Order: sequence, then structure tokens, then C-alpha cells
Amino acid sequence: MWHWEANPLNGPAVLGMIIGGVVILLMTLGVVTYSILWQRKLIGWIQWRIGPNRVGPLGLFQTIADVIKLLIKEDVIPEKSDRAMFLLAPIIAFVPSFTVLAVIPFSAHHVFTANAAIGALFYIALSAITIHGVMLGAWASNNKYSLIGGMRSAAMMVSYEIPLGLSIVGVVLMAGSINLNDIVEAQARSGWWNVVPQILGFIVFLIASTAELNRTPFDLAEAESELVAGYHTEYSGFRFAFFMLTEYVYLFAMAGLCATLYLGGWSGPFLPGWLWFAIKVFLYISFQFWLQATMPRMRIDQLMTFSWKVLLPLALVNLVLTAVIKAFV
Amino acid sequence: MNEEGRKPEKGLDAPATASKPANDQGSAAESEAAKSSAEANPATDAKPAAEAKPTAQAKTAAEVKPAAEAKPAAGEPTGEPVGEPAKRVATGPDGAAAKPTAAAKPAAAAARPAGAAKPAGAAAKKAPPPPDPRAEAAKAKAEQVKAAIVARLGEAAVEEVGAAHFVPMLVIRKQDWPSAVDLLRTHPDWKTNYLEFMAGTDYKDKGYIEVVIYLQSTELGHFLCLKTRTDRDKAEIPSLCSVFPGVNWEEREIYDLLGVTFTGHPDLRRIMLWDDFKGHPLRKDYNEWDERNA
Amino acid sequence: MSLIDEKDQVRTEEMLLNVGPQHPSTHGVFRLVVKISGETIIDAEPVIGYLHRGTEKLAEDLQYTQIIPYTDRLDYLAAMLNNYALCHTVEEALGLEIPERAEYLRVIVMELNRIASHLLFIGTYLLDLGAMSPFLYVFAERERIVQMFNEICGARLTYNYMRIGGLRWDAPPGWLDQVRAFVGHMREQLKMYDDLITGNEIFLNRVRGIGVYDTETALAHGMSGINLRCTGFEWDLRRKKPYSIYDRFDFEIPVGKNGDCFDRYYLHLLEMRESLKIVEQALDQIPESGPVLGKVPKLIRVPAGEYYSGIEGARGELGFYIVSDGKDKPYRMKIRKPSFVNLQLLPKLLRGQNMANLIAILGAVDIVLGEVDA
Repeated sequence: MWHWEANPLNGPAVLGMIIGGVVILLMTLGVVTYSILWQRKLIGWIQWRIGPNRVGPLGLFQTIADVIKLLIKEDVIPEKSDRAMFLLAPIIAFVPSFTVLAVIPFSAHHVFTANAAIGALFYIALSAITIHGVMLGAWASNNKYSLIGGMRSAAMMVSYEIPLGLSIVGVVLMAGSINLNDIVEAQARSGWWNVVPQILGFIVFLIASTAELNRTPFDLAEAESELVAGYHTEYSGFRFAFFMLTEYVYLFAMAGLCATLYLGGWSGPFLPGWLWFAIKVFLYISFQFWLQATMPRMRIDQLMTFSWKVLLPLALVNLVLTAVIKAFV
Repeated sequence: MNEEGRKPEKGLDAPATASKPANDQGSAAESEAAKSSAEANPATDAKPAAEAKPTAQAKTAAEVKPAAEAKPAAGEPTGEPVGEPAKRVATGPDGAAAKPTAAAKPAAAAARPAGAAKPAGAAAKKAPPPPDPRAEAAKAKAEQVKAAIVARLGEAAVEEVGAAHFVPMLVIRKQDWPSAVDLLRTHPDWKTNYLEFMAGTDYKDKGYIEVVIYLQSTELGHFLCLKTRTDRDKAEIPSLCSVFPGVNWEEREIYDLLGVTFTGHPDLRRIMLWDDFKGHPLRKDYNEWDERNA
Repeated sequence: MSLIDEKDQVRTEEMLLNVGPQHPSTHGVFRLVVKISGETIIDAEPVIGYLHRGTEKLAEDLQYTQIIPYTDRLDYLAAMLNNYALCHTVEEALGLEIPERAEYLRVIVMELNRIASHLLFIGTYLLDLGAMSPFLYVFAERERIVQMFNEICGARLTYNYMRIGGLRWDAPPGWLDQVRAFVGHMREQLKMYDDLITGNEIFLNRVRGIGVYDTETALAHGMSGINLRCTGFEWDLRRKKPYSIYDRFDFEIPVGKNGDCFDRYYLHLLEMRESLKIVEQALDQIPESGPVLGKVPKLIRVPAGEYYSGIEGARGELGFYIVSDGKDKPYRMKIRKPSFVNLQLLPKLLRGQNMANLIAILGAVDIVLGEVDA
């Protein structure tokens, strides 16, 4: 098996890296495209309707048509906005969302994945950058709804990153490593996935990750009934598409992280690793869509209370329990 | 026609719910009913209120029964087969059909002059129909209300007493408007704590703008209609906002559309139309091509 | 200018936020100028009139029958009730008799329309609060009602079905059976809504204890309908001033306890249940056949005088006030618009709340802008 880590950084290695990046990008775009379609279909079925079925067979090209529409739309930049920041914000939001995919082990043969020793930390650290893009965009739009949406987003991300991080620490304790590959291997070795011993942490992770993704019932940042469209109210065309893309790439990345940390990543009997990984990611994504079709939105103060008074103590309890068990059992 | 008798009794049962429909003075329905009762049944009670056909009495007896059951019984005198459901004016078979149509003709004739006549004329045409007891009751009640107001605010406070359809109606002097409304709201006999409705009307020919409110006592079940009038040119009425905060927007609407200034209103601005709109559309002399409104 | 003032405190500023007239949650063209500090509302000022069509002025040049289609456009979610409110006032003024079958059909369509309107309230209210699915569920139910209306009067939204003295058309054959089938179906659906929505903890947390007012305030502000009953005050014109044939039916008047948004939501649900009861009884009692339009003069002239009568609309007391000078057109017509009156309390309810509650409170007032602006 060839891996760039084991080779000197010469021409072919760089080429390999670039190809790897492009392949991952294309795969991600494919996943995003069809998870959007799946979202619309699934929510459609939950809501007694059919969902998109006009563009292509079974509506398979619907999202592609939507993306093309967004890309050829006029790029409207509001006159009173802060132009430079307005243009920059979607990029700042998007780049980290794609970068975090570098550490997600998609399969046992992590050809295109960085086998980084700081995997989990890398994910948490980079994903926090996106919030700057969101806030910049919100501020630069010079729109009050955007501003409120951006502020809410920031408050929420900061609040929920802590329980999210703490719940991950439990898993890290179990595996004794921050390297996501090691975590998967530890689960494969131990015979059970982390979701069993870390059930408390898993619940905290599930809730906090939903909030991190800005998804229902924590979709306050873009609560359309209150804030029109939240932080991307003024965005249109491909800049809006960037924000959309960010959101769904994160959904994919978070699904990957969840699968890696709690569901054993690519490990599993009979089926090939990549398929196991795909199934787990699919389940997590579908779960998010199911939530979206079921839940009303929380209120910002309830959201904060919930994070600090419920999730954080729970995550701490989980952490202490894990440490105690790990030390004495 | 068969049902003519039903409503009056109900009305008598509950005169307080005066807004029930009935044969109004000069209305087509009433003259029609009177006609048919005359030719149909000599046994009609002399009481003017129950001037309906025997059906009415059958109904009275069957008042407690569901209406659907009472129907066949009501039909009997006209020879309809028992059990036939609800025969109505035009659909009665043979004999039943003949009478109502005959009755309907004079009714239609009566309706025309009554309708065309000016307010005062309606009663004067024909032999004046006996005044509706519910209107009378309303007037009597209005007198009581007047007594209550006069006792506190003086004789001049009430300008006119009457009935608006079947609701006791009083015209209050402009200056006493809020105090009279407040008085009735707090008065132990009336307690009109709920302002149901408010409207303004421009009576161009009579030269005033009238503001009317319908008050209601949720506790005692009273319904009252109070009015006040103001000059058209310098339309100004004290605001009721201090008594009923809920009239805030209603008064703004009247100000907007009729141009009545409510003194003491906390926030008197246009509400339906935009701020620099000229004129007041609900005034009878409003004309959107008018110079003044341009 | 420094962001830090002399007392070493961050200088803050209130912000004016213009909610509407184009905003997803204002249910039409309603504008609310909100002064906020952070997310806390300091003051709110409703601005209405964007949909003002001058119905009252228009009516002065229309014959009574011609006004009926205009009433469809007031509260366009409950057009049958609007139709009825106008016809009822004119019929009272004329002392007209309504054929029995017409009365029953009227009650059936009115109560169905009330259900359709309440359904839409629940759907949009939940949508305001961020839950998407109930909105689509209620539309499925509402669709059935709307289809039935389509069959009976040829329109899905603006029915123009009632006439002074009765109805324009009799129900087509089999229509009443459809209604009966619907009643059974709707009962089950209501149970589902109850489980789906009332059992949701997030929803309860969002609507409990916000937008609270008491009976006293509600009465002083002239509120009616569910907005009044949510305070625990039993006031339903179908009982208090029985019109049509409502005295023949057995139904409850659900009232709230706390006067908060949850009560207002829940009363909508309970009222649908009662409406179903009424429809069912009406279906049992309705005469098999008979005319649906009473004996009405060709040209309707209301005797001179003034008439007011109100009915229990879907949103509260819906009344028509007619001043007649004996002609075939009203001298003045004024509509008692329940949403218009109910909306007045909004600024008071909003002060001190946060932005998210704005939507919850505004939604619970259940306004229809066609009616507010008339």
C-alpha cells in the first residue's frame, strides 16, 4: 500500500496529494449533492409528499440543477455592505469545513487521509474557524437580521463547542490517543464500539453536534421565521451556495466524526470498510434530517441554559466516570 | 312562512338578546305574516306580537322539542301530509303552495313603498304596524339607562333616547361622552365592561358625524348602544381611550377615515392610510379628484 | 468615538428593527417596528394598512348581495363565516326566515371553515416556531375541506356561497356523506396533532407562560374569540347570543387557564373538536331536502335604521354594522374585525420579551391581514 507519509516529498508525492485532495473534494461534493436530495426526499416522505421528482429520473439531478442555478445567478453585493469582508466571508466559512475532512478516516486504507496524530483536536480547532466566516458575513452584510443571526451563531458555537469537546475527551481517554485512526482501531480491537461504553458521551455529542451544525432544533442562526435567513440574508448566487455548501460539508464531516468516534468508523463485520463507514455516515445524516422534520426550534436563552446547565455537567460526569473506570478497571 | 312564529316567541323569552331577527316595522316579512294570519286562522291570539299562524302555536307547544320534530305538526293545518319534512314557502304541494304565493304578493307590494320611504315615512305609510314589543322594551330600557346617567351627569347629558333595532340607544352629549361611558362601566346596575364595537358615520344631510359604540355587560347581560354627535366641520370628540384602552385603534381608524379628532387620544395618527394622505374617504362628500384632497 | 465610555463600560445602543412588511412570519403584509436592545424588545409599534382596500367605502356603492364577495376577501381563511356575518345582519334587519335546510348547511360549512382556519393556525404557528411538518400535515386535512367547499360552491378560497335569505346552491348529492367521512377522519387526525405537537417538550417550553394577560385586560381591550377565552373567561357568541340554529346543538366552550400562548394554541385544537361535534349533529338533523333560499325580494332594501350583529368568527367576534336609509345599498357599513381589535394588545405583550418570543406571541394572536386592514 502506498502512502505519502512513508515517501519523500518529491514530485509524484505532491501530485499524489493534489490528486487525493481533488478526489476527496469531488466525493464530498457528490455526497453533499445527494444528501441534499436525500434530505428533501426523506422530509418529503415524512410530510406525506413526494419531494423533488422532476429533474432527471426520481429527481436525481434536482440538486445539480439547483447548483447550476445558483452559480449562474447574479452576484449581488449590497451597496452599503463592507465589500471586502462580504466577499471574503463565504470563503473563510467554507475552507475549514473542507479541511477538516483531511483527518476523517474514510476507510481502513486511508489513502487520502492524513494520519494526523492530533486528529480530533485538529477537527475541533479548524471547525471553530468557520464561525468567523459566519460572523464576518453577518457583520459585513449590514443587515440587522444578519447581525442577530451572526451573534446567535457565535454564542451558540462557543457554548456548544465545550460539551462537544468534553464528550470527545471521553473517547480519547478510552483509546488513549487523539489520532482518529487509532481511535477506530482501538474500537475494532476492543470488540465493541464506543457508543456502548460511552453512551452518555454519545448523547452529549449527538446534541452538541446538532447545535454545532446549526440544525433543527438548534437552527437559531438562520431561523427563517424570526430572522428571515439569519446570517446569509443578504447573500445570493454562488456566495450563498458557499454557505450552503459549508453547512452540508460540515454535516458530512460531523457524520464522519461521529462514525469514527462512536460507531467504530470503518470497522465492522463482513462488509468492506468503506461501506461500513458510508452506512454509519448515512445513518447520522438521516437522523439529522429526521430531527429537522420533527422538532420545533428552541429559544436562544433556553439553548444557552441547556448547554451550560445540562450538557456541560453531563459531559463532565461522563469524563470523570471514564477516567475513573479507565484507571481502576 | 311556516316558521314565522318561531322567532317572536324566542325573542320574548329573551328580550335581552335583542339582536334576534324578527318582523321589523314596515318590513316585508311582517306585513306578509299579518296578511296570512288574517286569512288563515281566526284563532290567532289578539296579542300583536304573536300575530302568526296556527303554526306558531303549534310551535309554541313544541318549543322544547327539536325543531325537526315540530315541523310536521306545524304543517298540519294546511293539509300537508304528516311526516313531510319542513315545507317552505315555494315548495308546498297544491293547497299549501297557493296561499303563501298569494300572501307574498301584497308583501312584495308593501316592501316597495316601505323600502323607498325615508326613515320617518316607513311608519306613516299604511296603517302603522303595531310597534314591535322588543323595540319598545329596548326603549324602556334606554329610559332606565338615561335615568342612571342623568342622576350623575345632569339632564343635558342625554340628548336622545331610542332603540337601534332592538338595542337600547342613547345619544350622549359630546362633552359627557367619556364620563357617561365610564359611568355605565362602573355603575352597579349596568356594568357594561365590554366595548363590543365602535363605528363612525357621516350624516352629511343632517350635518353631523356620529360615533356609535355597542356596549355589553358580560356579567349582567346588557346590551347598549351609545352615540355621540359632532359637527362635521370641526369634528372633535373626547377620546374613550382612558375608559376602554381597546378603542385606541378604532378611534385612529375613525380619525383616519372620517376625520374626527379624538381629544385626549394618546397616539392619534392615520392607521389605514399613509400619513400624507389628504382627505377622509368615508365622508360622504369625499371625492378623490377634489382639489382639497389632491 | 470610543466604544468605551467614561465609566469604562461598553457603550451600547438600541437598535430599530423593521419586522415586515415582507417577513416570513408576519402572515401577510404586517409591519412591526421593534426597538431592541440585544435581543430584548424594548418597544414595538405595529404598522398596518398595507392591505387596506376600503371595503367599507366600496360597500356604500354596492347592493347587499354584491357585497358578499367582498367579505370573502376580509378574513380569507374563513370566508364562509364572513359571508354569514353579513347575510345574518341583513336578514335580521329584514326579519327574514331562512329555510331549515339552508340553516343546517350554513352551520356545516361554517364549522368546517372554522376547522380549516384553525388548522391553518396550528400549521403556521408551528412553522413560526420552526417545526415544518405540522404545516404540511394540516394542509392535507385542509385540502379535504377546501375540496368539499369547491364541490358545494365552486371555489376553494373565496366562496361567495351564502345569499341573503339562504344559500346559493344546495349541496350536491353525496356531499353530506363526504362530510361525515371527513368528521371521522378528522377526529383521528386531531389525536395525532395532539400527540405530535402538544407532547413536544421544546414546543411547550417555547409557548408556556409567554404573552400572558388576564381577563380584565382582555375585556378592556375588546378582545374576543380565543384570545379572550384563553384567559379562562367563557365567552362564545354561539352561546351568549345564539344566532342561526346554534341553540340546537350540544357543544362545549373550551376555555384556557393561564392566558398564555400555549392556551391559545390548545384552544384552537379543542375548538376543532367541538366544531366536529356540531357538524356531526347538524348532519344528523339536517332535513333530507327542501329549498335552500328563502323568499327574498328581488331587490333587497333594508328598512331605514341601523343594525349591528356579531357572530363568533374563527378569530373572534365578527360583526357587521349597517346603517340603511331604506335604499338597496347600505348608507354606511362597518365591519367589526376581530383580528384588528385583538392585535392592539401586541405592543404591551411584546415589551420585555426577546426576539424569539415576538414570533410566538404574534403568531398566537392569529391575525389575518385581509381582515386587519379590511
